[in-house]
Amino acid sequence: MSKFDHLRGVPGSANRLAAQVWDGAKVGAPPAEVPEPDEIDVPAELRATIEHHMSLYPDRHSAVLPALSAAQRLHGWLSEEAILQVAMVMRVTPAYLESIATFYDMLELEPVGRHTIYVCTNISCQLRGAREVLDAFAEATGSPINGSSPDGQFRLRAFECLGGCDMAPMASIEGHYRGPLQPGDARAAAAHLRGGGEPGDLLPDRKFVGDYGRRVAAEEETP
Amino acid sequence: MNGRGILFTHIDEPGLQRLEVYERLGGYGGLRKALAEMNQEDVLKELEASGLRGRGGAGFSMGKKASFLPHGGVEKYLCCNADESEPGTFKDRELMHKNPHQLIEGVLIAAFAAGTSHAFIYIRGEYEEEADILDAALSEARAHGYVGDHVLGSGFSCSLVVHRGAGAYICGEETALLDSLEGKRGNPRLKPPFPANQGLYQGPTLINNVETLSNTPHIIVNGADWFRSFGTEKSPGTKVVSVSGNVKRPGNYEVELGIPARDIVYGLAGGPYPGASVKAWFPGGSSAPVLTAEHLDLPYDFESMQQAGSMLGSGAIIVIDETVPIVAVALRLAEFYRHESCGKCVPCREGTNWTVKMLERIDSGEATPMDLDVMASVQENIIGNCLCVLGDSMAMPVGSMIKHFRGEFEEHMKQAARRQADERVGEGAAISISEETGLAVPAKSEVA
Amino acid sequence: MADAGWITFTVDGREVRAPEGEWLVDAVKRGDVEVPFFCYEPKLGPPVGACRMCLVEIEGIPKLQTSCSTPVKDGMVVYTQTDRVRHAQNAVVEFLLVNHPLDCPVCDKGGECPLQDISFGWGPGRSRFHDDKRNFPKPIALSPLVAIDRERCILCYRCVRFSQEVAEDYQLTFLERGDHTFVGTFDGRPYVAPFTGNVIELCPVGALTSTSYRFRARPWDIANSGSVCTLCPSQCNIAFTVRDDRVERVVARDNKAVDDGWLCDKGRFGYQSIAAAERVTQPLVRDGGKLRPATWERALEAAAEGLRKAGAASAAVVGGQTTNEEGYLLQRIFREGLGSPDVDSRDGGRLDPAAARFLSHPDLAASVADIDGAACVLVIETDPMNEAPITDLRLRKAVRRFGSRLVIAASTPTALDAGAVERLAFAPGTAEALLRALQKALLETDEPEGSDGAESRPGEPREDAAPGATPHEHPGTPDGDGGGGGDGGDGEAGIEGQSRLATFLAEHSLERLAEIAEVEAEDLRDAAAHLTAAENVVVLWGERLGHGERGPATLGALGDLALVLGLDAGDGSGLIEVPAGTNARGLREMGCVAGLGPGLADTDPGRCATEARDFGAGGATHAFYLLHSDPIRDLAERERWEQALGAASFVIAHEQFLGESASRHADVVFPAESYAEKEGTVTHPDGRLQRLRPAIGHPGEVRREWQVLADIGNRLGLDLAHHVTAAAVLGEIAERVPLYRGVTPEEIGGRGVRWPERQQSRTAAAEVIGRLAFSAPGEPIGVPRPGDGELRLATARDIWAAPEIEHSPSLEFLRPRQRLLLNPADADRLGIRRGDPVRVASNGTILETEANPREAVKPGTCHLIERTPEQNPNMLMNGGPVLVRVWPAGAKAPDGSRAG
Ligand SMILES: Cc1cc2nc3c(=O)[nH]c(=O)nc-3n(C[C@H](O)[C@H](O)[C@H](O)COP(=O)(O)O)c2cc1C
Ligand code: SF4
Ligand code: FES
Repeated sequence: MSKFDHLRGVPGSANRLAAQVWDGAKVGAPPAEVPEPDEIDVPAELRATIEHHMSLYPDRHSAVLPALSAAQRLHGWLSEEAILQVAMVMRVTPAYLESIATFYDMLELEPVGRHTIYVCTNISCQLRGAREVLDAFAEATGSPINGSSPDGQFRLRAFECLGGCDMAPMASIEGHYRGPLQPGDARAAAAHLRGGGEPGDLLPDRKFVGDYGRRVAAEEETP
Repeated sequence: MNGRGILFTHIDEPGLQRLEVYERLGGYGGLRKALAEMNQEDVLKELEASGLRGRGGAGFSMGKKASFLPHGGVEKYLCCNADESEPGTFKDRELMHKNPHQLIEGVLIAAFAAGTSHAFIYIRGEYEEEADILDAALSEARAHGYVGDHVLGSGFSCSLVVHRGAGAYICGEETALLDSLEGKRGNPRLKPPFPANQGLYQGPTLINNVETLSNTPHIIVNGADWFRSFGTEKSPGTKVVSVSGNVKRPGNYEVELGIPARDIVYGLAGGPYPGASVKAWFPGGSSAPVLTAEHLDLPYDFESMQQAGSMLGSGAIIVIDETVPIVAVALRLAEFYRHESCGKCVPCREGTNWTVKMLERIDSGEATPMDLDVMASVQENIIGNCLCVLGDSMAMPVGSMIKHFRGEFEEHMKQAARRQADERVGEGAAISISEETGLAVPAKSEVA
Repeated sequence: MADAGWITFTVDGREVRAPEGEWLVDAVKRGDVEVPFFCYEPKLGPPVGACRMCLVEIEGIPKLQTSCSTPVKDGMVVYTQTDRVRHAQNAVVEFLLVNHPLDCPVCDKGGECPLQDISFGWGPGRSRFHDDKRNFPKPIALSPLVAIDRERCILCYRCVRFSQEVAEDYQLTFLERGDHTFVGTFDGRPYVAPFTGNVIELCPVGALTSTSYRFRARPWDIANSGSVCTLCPSQCNIAFTVRDDRVERVVARDNKAVDDGWLCDKGRFGYQSIAAAERVTQPLVRDGGKLRPATWERALEAAAEGLRKAGAASAAVVGGQTTNEEGYLLQRIFREGLGSPDVDSRDGGRLDPAAARFLSHPDLAASVADIDGAACVLVIETDPMNEAPITDLRLRKAVRRFGSRLVIAASTPTALDAGAVERLAFAPGTAEALLRALQKALLETDEPEGSDGAESRPGEPREDAAPGATPHEHPGTPDGDGGGGGDGGDGEAGIEGQSRLATFLAEHSLERLAEIAEVEAEDLRDAAAHLTAAENVVVLWGERLGHGERGPATLGALGDLALVLGLDAGDGSGLIEVPAGTNARGLREMGCVAGLGPGLADTDPGRCATEARDFGAGGATHAFYLLHSDPIRDLAERERWEQALGAASFVIAHEQFLGESASRHADVVFPAESYAEKEGTVTHPDGRLQRLRPAIGHPGEVRREWQVLADIGNRLGLDLAHHVTAAAVLGEIAERVPLYRGVTPEEIGGRGVRWPERQQSRTAAAEVIGRLAFSAPGEPIGVPRPGDGELRLATARDIWAAPEIEHSPSLEFLRPRQRLLLNPADADRLGIRRGDPVRVASNGTILETEANPREAVKPGTCHLIERTPEQNPNMLMNGGPVLVRVWPAGAKAPDGSRAG
């Protein structure tokens, strides 16, 4: 059984952080404080989204994850600029945000491909052929596992249990759960997305196909 | 589904996600009843009397926990734990996906019982579809006066926000969830203080799992006695069990607690593929110590699983058949916990990392038999010494695998070592292989 | 023992008493039991329970518990030595060392390292870990001051908690998670903030080290010598780490009553100036227009001769770092030896002696520790972060941990603004109106509900008022519990003062007063509501309040506010001044303020520094004695000082570094001692006397300065020959200065003693200060509104604008660059963008600097940093707020004249 050594990354980005880890602080640079309003331009829509989220909670800090996610949706990843924009609107230091961004798996700290594909590689999927599916996606998208394709189209990640073990082996493609997958599905999915297809329309939605009590969907799947 | 159910009764009703359909099937009747006919005390009593136990892992009485919250003035909070990240668990996803209003109603009833006016559903970030479904249902519910100020014209007001996580298993741990919801890194907190005393924003906080809360409308509508007519004395009610792994029909099955595990694994999920047999199974998610085929005839409930040395946990059964090397499972499991350890406390952070390193060597043939002992001892050193139970969640199953399958581990090491040595011999290295340990030793000629 | 709240519990079979609820890890120490720990540090806030080192067994609880987070209860039975506990301790140490490089031989921490000690004491003594450890590059910069070695880090949370929960700069954080977690900053920017050095001391391993101390010494080579930092009025307790008679490091000497064990980076790294090559280490005498080295005898004789000639036409300007002993001797030389009363240690004009005494009243004196317990803290016209940095941390702690409400009234933005419940940004120069407006608002807030009886308001009786007190009398009694002294008398002044204030407030509407101060009446009402709701209030006020023409009236208003707030109630309420000079309070009490003799006694008013300057500019002050003072740089109106010192026939300076005044004007320069060489006492703004003790010998020919002063005194005919030690000088102070009556070095000891708490001093204070009374309110005046192209300029101190920064190599990078803070709206109006060079002009003087728009700046005002080595704004200031014209450098000056 193959082992998923590629998973031994953590959230965050080795490259982006390498600078500070290996070269030390840029001692000549100014410290990163809460940016002054005129230092940072924030797209109006992003500002409105963040302010809306801040208004939902008794403490504005609770909006950090929604705010970072919104910035990531806008910029594709949490660039320095994106973090500074959130810092500016939320009145927190960028370090506070980076500390949070690097904690959570779904926040990207380097530029990534346009379409995000998480392939579940945890036990239940592993037992049903996740490795083959993952490899098939790597081949179909041209993206290295846990990297992005050179054409900027795909971001492929080997992910921990996505909570879709009923359709194992499965993947979350742009947020849509799809499974059980065959290696052949990877090529279809990649082609669909490359061709500008709606992610929601991709591959048959095989989940919740019927009444679970009477379901016999996987019967023919002999090993 | 074995005859009677609670949560899944209407689960496949077309359009159930819509308020209109939910209401047609009696939806929000529980909330109406609670607000119109009962007071806070009554609801608390009913929930406590029902014996409903938490479905998120710990199995603590839901009503009792709600009653721990101090009464009166202070701002209190309710958090629904929809972080569902325990490997093998996918029941909350289906409950939210297909019946979002059941959860919303459950949250409001619990909020009423606990006297909280702010409620949050912390849903894992990967469940984007489910979060969207909940948000849509929420705005419908809000528009119909089920959520917000003066719910259904009563004196009870409660806000509800669906808060999306961003990918961290640890945020399912209740205090890490609170930190995450407060906009911090999702690190577990010290307990005490328990959330019921000091939780979100320092206020008393009730935290319950999706499935737990989804049960409350049914209890209020039908009464505690009706609920107790399901399941066993100590584990009343039903449980949605997520069955996955090497079975024919992986899926969610609502069962009464106490039915034999075999009925679930073989009966409902169809058992392993033809020709294969069960080698090991996790009875409650990957954090539960593994059991073997001989445990399949135990009743599936909180007590029996505990007596067998494991736990019901999140109610996720992962079945492993005998074609799968146990070392691969152990390694994958340890990798998961290492990846998900928050890093706050020492035994978990260093113990998971050390265990992965040892398992890698065991898998690749670079380990010595002593490593197995060290590994077992490291698991013991983790258990009970951590800040939260994530460390234990790796140490217990890994420990159980060593216990149940020690022979296989040793054999695996031997063979891997031999394979490796063979490769090196193939590459021309002057070594030979010890029959006894399977380890490479310098070739006789070299020594001479 | 009958003490309530104490309980008995058992640890390892021993019965021990401890206060109920104390963390177990501390409670067991009372039974001489030690539990090892890494992450526990109460100064950082609630325990986090991360390291798991402190596990103990408690009867009745199945799992081992972290003693750092378990409160002790009566009857608890605790074991710290059982097999289970030992097993867990061994396990944790083994885990900790899994990723620790064990490079102790090349580690600065070696020998004073908790990880070493705990591994030795509680570890298994062996490791079974054979795999690769985490790799990080060996020490790299975290900032120019701090190096980080991430391999050594045990992720104990101490440093990041400091950054986030104590300093609240939120710059140092954990990044990534799990076993990949590491300590870092955003985008690799340096960790630069006022208090970063504390993380070095907090780190229990050698992960965070001081770049300036690295590889300088081993713990067994050094001696730590306790003293007090005199670089700002916070007067933190420090220890100099000395190796071979050289200061190599400064560490905190944790005094809860003063500094909580924190230091600012100026205090921690500023020691480097002690060994700076530029230091003056021998006497200099001007000879042929140039300062040249001279013998002590020649310099002393020249100084005595110069002073003798000038006689009563001499004036002394005393700098804030002067000790009580030095100040005391100097004022004797002047008052007794030269017959000149012109001794001062303040800028900004005269200090009203009555106000000075009033504000020093022991009943109104809050201690630093009182801030912790204050329900509300009112900060008036000071920015503690820049003026007394450690006070800033104390206030943050009060807000964060004890829920104090912070009300800030200041004309400049302060670092604490974000934590304030109310922020009153008044126009520079209108503090008097602001204070009156607050009184009015307090009165209004109080009216509807009536008094709670605990606090006195004008026009209302206080419940605890003395029998027979009329409803109008303010019962603030000077003798309080001090015994003796004024007996409350007939209360004539109280009655009169009180009704005067009541009348004044009745005649002025809140709106009118608010308008003068240019703040919203509503904000004042909110502030008043917070103050009224608070059980006890500490008021922190900046010396600036007393500066300028309206200074005396403003201090009067401050005193009235204190009485209106009932700060004399003795319930932890009170005033604390944030002065400009380190030892300002001691110097005032030693008689180094014009018109105030030793012990705040009335004396010949003489001339204050400003008056002496103006007198001198006219050629009438013949000699200036600059004791640790560089007026051209530090005081307002540098041009006037330039003239005065130029016109004087004789100038003496005591200096560590030749400043502008000394290098251009001094005839004799005595080398000043650094604070590591000094012996003597200083007085903390809260009245705490503290001892300075020499840590190293004197470099070059530097002599003890009290001795130099005594020598000069002797030459001028004073009998000071008996002053053979600093303690002898203190002895004379203890005899002749009533407020300090009877103090001895022993009484002061290592932790200091607050005179407002000493019985003898209180008795004396009652005599000198008399009873508290309301002032005679004057008509507060507004300041002119800025016209087109104009802004109001106010200046403020910056923590980094100090000679110690410029002369400490590793702090050099912090030397502030002058910049003009202004509101973004004003910047827009004036056509100025961030970073643009701008010109600021007043009275024909032009200063060029860089624009820095900030939301927090009050519209219509702008700010410059005081006491900078270049672009010093004291060229623009004239003792009060001024209107300046501001325009972008390349553009034409608004009045048509081209800047030059
Ligand atoms: C590491 C860890 C992960 C957890 N993840 C989840 C989770 O994903 N969902 C959940 O409901 N409970 C989870 N729990 C359990 C919660 O801490 C908590 O016990 C539960 O939410 C309480 O709800 P209940 O009483 O309704 O079960 C987790 C616990 C631990 C220690
Ligand atoms: S650097 Fe030092 S203080 Fe900071 S977490 Fe690491 S060991 Fe603790
Ligand atoms: S000191 Fe108690 S866990 Fe670290």
